[in-house]
Amino acid sequence: MTDRVHWSDRLQRFDRRWIFLIMGLAIVVPLYLPIGFPIKPRPMTKAAFNAVEELKPNDVVLVSMDLDPASTAELEPYYRAVILQLKRKNVKLAFTTLWYQAPPLVERWLRETVDVPIAPAGTPGYVGAPDRAYVRNVDYVYLGFREGKQNIMLGMGADLHHVFDGKTDDGTPLDSIPWMKTSRSLGDFKLMVLVSAGSPGAKEYVQYVQNRYNLRMVAVTTAVSTTDLAPYYQSGQLLGIVAGLSGSAEYEVLVGKPSIGVEGADVLNAGHGVVIVAIVLGNLAYFAGRRRKRKAA
Amino acid sequence: MTDVATIDIIGAWVGIFLTMCILSFLYGDNPFYKLGEHLFIGVSIGYIVVVQFRNNFYVKFDRDLTWWDLAPAALVAMMFVKFASKQLVWLGRFPLAFVIALYAGQSITGLVGSDLGDQIKTASRSLVVHKIDLQTAGANELSNVPGVSPAIATKLAAERKDHPFESLDDALTRPSLTDSERADLADERGVLVGTDARATAAGGRNQIDWFGVASQVLLLIALLTGLLYFYFSIAHKGAIGRVSRVGVWILMIGFGASFGYTVQGRIALAIARAQDVRGKFMSPHDAAQIHGEVAAIVSAVIIIAGIWLFGRHEKRHRAGATPPAEAS
Repeated sequence: MTDRVHWSDRLQRFDRRWIFLIMGLAIVVPLYLPIGFPIKPRPMTKAAFNAVEELKPNDVVLVSMDLDPASTAELEPYYRAVILQLKRKNVKLAFTTLWYQAPPLVERWLRETVDVPIAPAGTPGYVGAPDRAYVRNVDYVYLGFREGKQNIMLGMGADLHHVFDGKTDDGTPLDSIPWMKTSRSLGDFKLMVLVSAGSPGAKEYVQYVQNRYNLRMVAVTTAVSTTDLAPYYQSGQLLGIVAGLSGSAEYEVLVGKPSIGVEGADVLNAGHGVVIVAIVLGNLAYFAGRRRKRKAA
Repeated sequence: MTDVATIDIIGAWVGIFLTMCILSFLYGDNPFYKLGEHLFIGVSIGYIVVVQFRNNFYVKFDRDLTWWDLAPAALVAMMFVKFASKQLVWLGRFPLAFVIALYAGQSITGLVGSDLGDQIKTASRSLVVHKIDLQTAGANELSNVPGVSPAIATKLAAERKDHPFESLDDALTRPSLTDSERADLADERGVLVGTDARATAAGGRNQIDWFGVASQVLLLIALLTGLLYFYFSIAHKGAIGRVSRVGVWILMIGFGASFGYTVQGRIALAIARAQDVRGKFMSPHDAAQIHGEVAAIVSAVIIIAGIWLFGRHEKRHRAGATPPAEAS
């Protein structure tokens, strides 16, 4: 005679590879058959958007690209959206990075988003003013990567030209670019846009230089870092936070050019559904099993 | 439109194949996963050496050196003295002491200002929060409300100049606002004066924002109970124990939020790989030439067949290695 296995035991011994397969399907299927969940920007995403909207033409903005390829999933949609917004505002841009993994990514993104227009007139599905191609060392500079983490932040706060040996990444003297000649330290930038995947990144910028030089900063961060940075938003040290892929999708909606972020957020909701169901079933199996064992004892 | 170079197509296919190799670990450890893992580590180390040399060493030698530039070199040399002389091992402690002291000094000044000073300032804000008066608030004050963009604030200031608002509902009907701006403004109803059509902005000054008050009270309770949980100079018994128990719950809610965001981040990674296979990070013209989906299917077939063959080989190998007596 065989004992019938209780459903809670069967669920607890369930091969987890089935969950991986279900999760895989939950990710792939909505990519081909979009669900179209609504996206409503959160206050801290709107606050980040508003901080950029306040900029005036020819203001100088520092964009710190502290990320690696693993974080592009969450940060790239925001990056593309905020660069479009910054170019629409016709501001001057200085790019740098404190992550050794970033330079090839940054250089590619600059070619794809700054050197050419992102949303020229007539772009399908785009609601907003068209942007234009920026000219390197005229409208924007790429300062390159420097090793030194917090030391580099402090160095940029005191004398940015010294940290980069007075040159851009391609060797152009910073003093030969009129707006960089007057932007000698972090305090001279109207806004800092921190595209931050971890440490060193937005948290260290707030800790080491924001307070010291009273800087205006907005940050996009990977979802996992959001709870670390949220207190800085509440205290006003960060003017806005864009949290992970969902935040990036909200930002795309605000900028008026829904793209890979919005598509990803739709899939994200399906993935979250699978995780929630798995958690509920796991808990049900655990508590039902415990109750059964107690009864048997 | 130019054709994608053959080398770029091969690169995209290799990338997709390696992605599938790493994902194959979800089934179980296998040679394809090992291949992907070892390639990743090898390429990463090679890349780090090149980038550090180009961006840090080369730029230093590319300009006029000063005597100060020898100081870091001397500190590095001191780290390696132990290989030359066991008696001079102690010299290696100086660079370590220098780095630790430097970071400690920088962190203390930074953290005291940002993580202590500013956070205490935020936590000690008044518990009473007033609503923002649409009629008198400046454009800057209005744009501090998260849902009110500077564009909305400017439009509101212009609108009330000609015709003062009777209520928030009145402000929402003004023609200069777009539909999305109207929706954003309506979302912030709670923090603005004039929550219904009857309360005029002028008459409603200094109204209390009860949601804001509740937030401040909740923040205070969470802060005090959380801090009490980490205060070990008194035993956590009786009333103190119960209050610190609330602190534990607050911490658990915080960890829950972190866990939720972590799950989101991990799923986002999987989504990006799927989008990459579909060519969403490139132009449709390039994606059409690369055929990422075909690459993914071919890779999956190769890996599944390879794992099956490898498993069969392992099984035979084990059967062959088993002593005849044991096998019988």
